[in-house]
Amino acid sequence: MLLILKEPFMQRALLGGLLTGSLGGLLGSVAVLRQLSFFSDALGHSALLGITLGILLGVNPTLVLIPFAVCFALMVNQLVERSSLPTDALLNIVYSSSLAAAILALSLVETYRGGIRQLLFGDILGISNIDLIIVVVLLAIALAYLVLTMRAQVLLTLNSDLAGAVGVQTRWHRIMFIVLLAVVVAVSIKAVGVLLISAFVVIPACASRLLSRNFALYMVMSAAVGGGCALMGLLASGMTNLPSGPSVVMVQFFGFLIALFLSNHQLRKRSIARKALHQIPGAAPADH
Amino acid sequence: MISPVLKVRDLCVERSGRLVVEDVSFDLNPESETAVVGPNGAGKTTLVAAVLGLLNRSSGDVEILGCPLACNGDLPPEIRSQIAYVPQSLALQGHFPLTVSEFVGFGFDSPGPRLPWRQRERRSAAVRHALERTDCNDLSYRLLSELSGGQLKRVMLSFCVVRPRRLLVLDEAQAGLDVSSNERFQHLLLELRRQEGWTVLQVSHDLDMVRRSSDQVLGLNRRVCCLGPPDHTLTQEHLTELYGPNIVPYRHHCRG
Repeated sequence: MLLILKEPFMQRALLGGLLTGSLGGLLGSVAVLRQLSFFSDALGHSALLGITLGILLGVNPTLVLIPFAVCFALMVNQLVERSSLPTDALLNIVYSSSLAAAILALSLVETYRGGIRQLLFGDILGISNIDLIIVVVLLAIALAYLVLTMRAQVLLTLNSDLAGAVGVQTRWHRIMFIVLLAVVVAVSIKAVGVLLISAFVVIPACASRLLSRNFALYMVMSAAVGGGCALMGLLASGMTNLPSGPSVVMVQFFGFLIALFLSNHQLRKRSIARKALHQIPGAAPADH
Repeated sequence: MISPVLKVRDLCVERSGRLVVEDVSFDLNPESETAVVGPNGAGKTTLVAAVLGLLNRSSGDVEILGCPLACNGDLPPEIRSQIAYVPQSLALQGHFPLTVSEFVGFGFDSPGPRLPWRQRERRSAAVRHALERTDCNDLSYRLLSELSGGQLKRVMLSFCVVRPRRLLVLDEAQAGLDVSSNERFQHLLLELRRQEGWTVLQVSHDLDMVRRSSDQVLGLNRRVCCLGPPDHTLTQEHLTELYGPNIVPYRHHCRG
């Protein structure tokens, strides 16, 4: 076990996992509250089409993926804004169609038939130094953006009219967040894979949401859970020789179960405390 | 001559190719309360959204505190920070990790990016004071998603009162409140309005409350059906024009 930790590829993978997990958790904290979980899933699935386009054009798929994901996200955003159909139905149509198109196109590419597994489940062990630099820069941008605009993010999530009335540039922030989410999904695909990317965004945020009682803590906890689970999943994968992406997601899932148990425990404790308070005459405030 | 806080002239708003608000003109004088009444689908919420610059207008002019509202809804930040808004509801599905004091603190901040630790002490003091004034001190560490409807509306007023403002817009703020919560909310609103010198524009379906608390009533059914003091507007004739023949005006004996 210790020997494998000395390997540069494993060190890069651990650092990459930590950073990618933190990035997914950080953006996921807002995405989940804004009900964009399914949007990140759709982005992840459609990314396969972006990769296929890159292969067909003979360009490095990673270079095609970021502009593709941004264009795709903006296009879907326009579609959702302009259509009267429910968002989940629209996203389903878009992501299943793009996935089907990508698989059809991939079947035409001889050289990539063997690599489909890596596209679907990711290959974090193949992460390069340049990939690490990109994730670090992205994490810095996401952190600065979310910290500086926390008021705008929260108000926009609660009620977009309230946000707009008190001076939040609602359209700009909505687009900016979607673009950021698209870039993060595109960059993380290599490590996490098309099928599991949404877990990196959704699970840490949901686990932290159950346990947090203020917004700043929630964002920090979500990033920490994302990064911590990725690290533990990779170590577990290294020890057991199991695929890395699914190992990380399983650790995230166990983390979520622990959060669920702890939150139920907290709820029970609070309910007992409230009942005790109501038994003291005049101690409990009226609930209206 | 007193210059109005809000001036609306010949406002028209289209939605999905249909004219929803047509040729609406009115003024809000400083420290007055105006209620917008009308049936469902009359364009009340659209009117409020267009006046606040949340929706693009097709034609007409809007001026807030002497400053024209740009066609894309832009207002200078110093004017924008004078506006408060209370919506019908907030998207608080499930466990929403946001405390009451955090939320009210966002009402203190000016528009634009800021570091969370800037003006921390001034901000905390302002939040505490706002929560005291709205009788919400005991709620400061509660989650927004744990509050009852009445508590949430009082917290919304804390958000508005946490910094000085001139114009308060409420869009059916009392929707979903029971009789006692509504009475408590209206009483608090009246008290704060007097203390703060707010000019209030309120969309409401509660005609009794409108009669008691408003200085001016705007009856809207796409166009302005009536505009003036409650005694002149909430008459059988105007209410029939707005809602149809089955509405009987009820006159309260005392005004709050």
